[in-house]
Amino acid sequence: MRRSRLLISLAVALSAIVLSTAVWAQESSKKTRVVYSWPSYAGPLLPHMYSPSQMYAQRMVYDPLVEYEEDGSYSPALATSWDISPDGKVYTFRLREGVEFSDGTPFDAEAVVMNFDAIKANEKRHKWMDLVTQIDGWESVDEHTFRLTLKNAYYPALAELSLIRPFRFLSPSAFPDDGDTSKSIKAPIGTGPWMLVESKKGEYDLFKANPHSWRGKQDVDEIMVKVISDPTARALAFETGEIDLIYGASTGQIDMETFNRYRSMDGIVTGLSGPLEGRNIAMNSGRFPTDDPSVRQAILHGVDRKAIVKHVFLGMEYPAETLFAKNRPYCDLNLKPYVYDPKLSAKILDKAGWEKNDDSPFRKKDGAPLTLDFCFIGTNALQKASAEAIQGDLRKIGIDVRLVAEEADSYYKRQKSGEFGMIFSSTWGAPYDPQSYCSSMRIPSHADYQAQSGLKMKEKLDRSISEVLITVDEKERADLYRYILTTLHEEAIYMPLSFSTAIKVYRECNLSDIPFRPTPYDIPFERISLPKNGI
Amino acid sequence: MIRYISKRVAQLIPLLVIVSIVVFLVLRLGQGDPAMTYLRLSGIPPTDQALATAREELGLNSSLPVQYIRWATKAIHLDFGKSYVTGNPVFPEIIYYMPNTLKLAAFSLALTLAVSLPLGMWAALNRDRLPDHSTRFLAFTGVSMPGFWLAYLLIWLFSIKLKWLPSMGLGGPAHMIMPAISMSLMSICINIRLIRGSVLENLHARWGLYGRLRGLPEKIVIGKHVLVNSLIPIVTAVGMHIGELFGGAVVAETIFSWPGVGRYAVSAIYNRDYPVMQCFILMMTVIFVVMNLAIDILYAWLDPRIRLEGGQS
Repeated sequence: MRRSRLLISLAVALSAIVLSTAVWAQESSKKTRVVYSWPSYAGPLLPHMYSPSQMYAQRMVYDPLVEYEEDGSYSPALATSWDISPDGKVYTFRLREGVEFSDGTPFDAEAVVMNFDAIKANEKRHKWMDLVTQIDGWESVDEHTFRLTLKNAYYPALAELSLIRPFRFLSPSAFPDDGDTSKSIKAPIGTGPWMLVESKKGEYDLFKANPHSWRGKQDVDEIMVKVISDPTARALAFETGEIDLIYGASTGQIDMETFNRYRSMDGIVTGLSGPLEGRNIAMNSGRFPTDDPSVRQAILHGVDRKAIVKHVFLGMEYPAETLFAKNRPYCDLNLKPYVYDPKLSAKILDKAGWEKNDDSPFRKKDGAPLTLDFCFIGTNALQKASAEAIQGDLRKIGIDVRLVAEEADSYYKRQKSGEFGMIFSSTWGAPYDPQSYCSSMRIPSHADYQAQSGLKMKEKLDRSISEVLITVDEKERADLYRYILTTLHEEAIYMPLSFSTAIKVYRECNLSDIPFRPTPYDIPFERISLPKNGI
Repeated sequence: MIRYISKRVAQLIPLLVIVSIVVFLVLRLGQGDPAMTYLRLSGIPPTDQALATAREELGLNSSLPVQYIRWATKAIHLDFGKSYVTGNPVFPEIIYYMPNTLKLAAFSLALTLAVSLPLGMWAALNRDRLPDHSTRFLAFTGVSMPGFWLAYLLIWLFSIKLKWLPSMGLGGPAHMIMPAISMSLMSICINIRLIRGSVLENLHARWGLYGRLRGLPEKIVIGKHVLVNSLIPIVTAVGMHIGELFGGAVVAETIFSWPGVGRYAVSAIYNRDYPVMQCFILMMTVIFVVMNLAIDILYAWLDPRIRLEGGQS
């Protein structure tokens, strides 16, 4: 009797818990709040620093002077207009009037100067971007005019000013007493469309619409960002209604199979952005056997890259024929693509003296086998599957590809040291492509530098890159890019694979739309539109 | 008893030193380069100069024994360095997440005992009848079910289909039910069989027989003599379950987005955040060892023969 009483009590207790959670589920459906998720919490939100402050959150809170648009143009943000001196060295920005930080502090030229002071004081940390080293002076001309002087006519200045970090603006009232924003700030107060109002490490970050925002009223009052590190857990949270929106890099937020499943489900809206970063495979011109241009060209013709995009990337990325997408500035050059043609590959190799004997499936030249190492991160499923497909294709034309699966550090070490035949690489997307990515090709710490190291024109290429960044002549700039990109294409240094994309997933009863921006970290929550009948 | 405890505590010190050396060496002698990891996670291009500066900053230029002594000296003072990802001191971060893991582990342990004790006894008292067969079936299926798979099945059923329970995050008791079940099912199943065996053994033991001969009611014989004596092997099993629970928490916390140490450790492993990994492994070892010690002491307290043997040896 006593045992059955115990069982009954247990059953009653369990029912109570279940009922309480049903109430919880109903409560969580109240809206004007959109729930999103991210793998880690927003971080301390230092406006001029990097990890652990998350880019999506920095972008919500802090504004730039100008914003980069998908077509490569710039739209006004905190600067309504700007002039560039004829020699390309002086940028004069007219600042938007009547703008206030989220705590009501006025935004003016002095605030801009204060932020530039803090960024330049920490120059060492920002050296990866050329603009920081090109800055010669900065001043407030009047309350609403700011002037920036450069050492050279560095044309990507606007692109780098539009980045999510470090050229964004913190309220003077939130500066630390010593002015060093690289260590700490008093509070994350910006002019951006959102204010961070609550943060629970490991759990969530809550943003509220900034009532002072110069962008005006928006549909959504609050954005709750829950911390979900696992893509499967994120998909489940979406299915249970615990998050409303999945948005970001196509390979990061949820897995590709899940996205494709959502594509065919009623009531769920899915979207794919335009091309973002270029995925490619760098071939080492400084190392045997890829030091032979014929081998590199044969590889490019010997791999069915469209099939890889279709079957490995499940059609969620765009097949690439060139290093940069044609929608990037100066990159629409009508370069002749390397089409999949294994017979042509074989012909190129035969002509170059790589002979195939009956006793081995692989070719040889002067007794040396046509064998190369293809390095990738072992835990990266996409890299692994692509590498296996490439190995299979190249075997058919007599090239022996040894797959080298390693952990991330060893892989990056190889990129730096050049100990690879082929290695995965990727461009940086907008607004870095092509200028910043080309700029990095000159630094020995990247796979690109090593891959190009065997080219007889490497020095000229580097010089051209240095020139293209500071020339003021538009035609000369276009010509230089034509030379750089055509040379890299013709020398078959890169095997372009695909252009990555960003995805969005939401239920049509919850959201009407959220547009894509040119980078996956630039999430325009303030542009979310809600269904007319409310949610 | 005090002598026994002091002796057992003293034995822990060499064990922890060996574990700390192994942890340190395994991570340092692996394929990765901490300086490269540090730069990658900080978003700094790995130029030769940057690598040299990072090695200097992280103290990687010294010999391995020197590096170990430096690290161990700081670790004794609970300074495990800073996370490469967050830049924050590691130990306070782990302490920040620890209560959530402890809460989940305690709930899971309570669930393990609350379910396995009555079911194990029920099976034993109904030997070779339906209750015994059904609990045996449950135990067999339960131990064969991987925790992560069970977690996904629970979410599918209770969150997606029935919409009864939240699938993620921290909140009220409802948030703990599914993670706790997925963490404790294996322990529950093992315990059921263990308790069943132990109860059966004690049912026919001499003290049971003596009690019955004295004319004690069956309830008293089972509740007082059989149950208390059956609990002794369970105490040891509970010690092991606690270790299993912390291991299970790593998976469950990731799947259920539970902000605990397990999820923090998984993200550190993913990023190769060495300082966090070292601290986590060492802390888990300490917890495991201390729990085992506590169980041994409890065991000795419950059964005086053990402490006498322990004291003599």
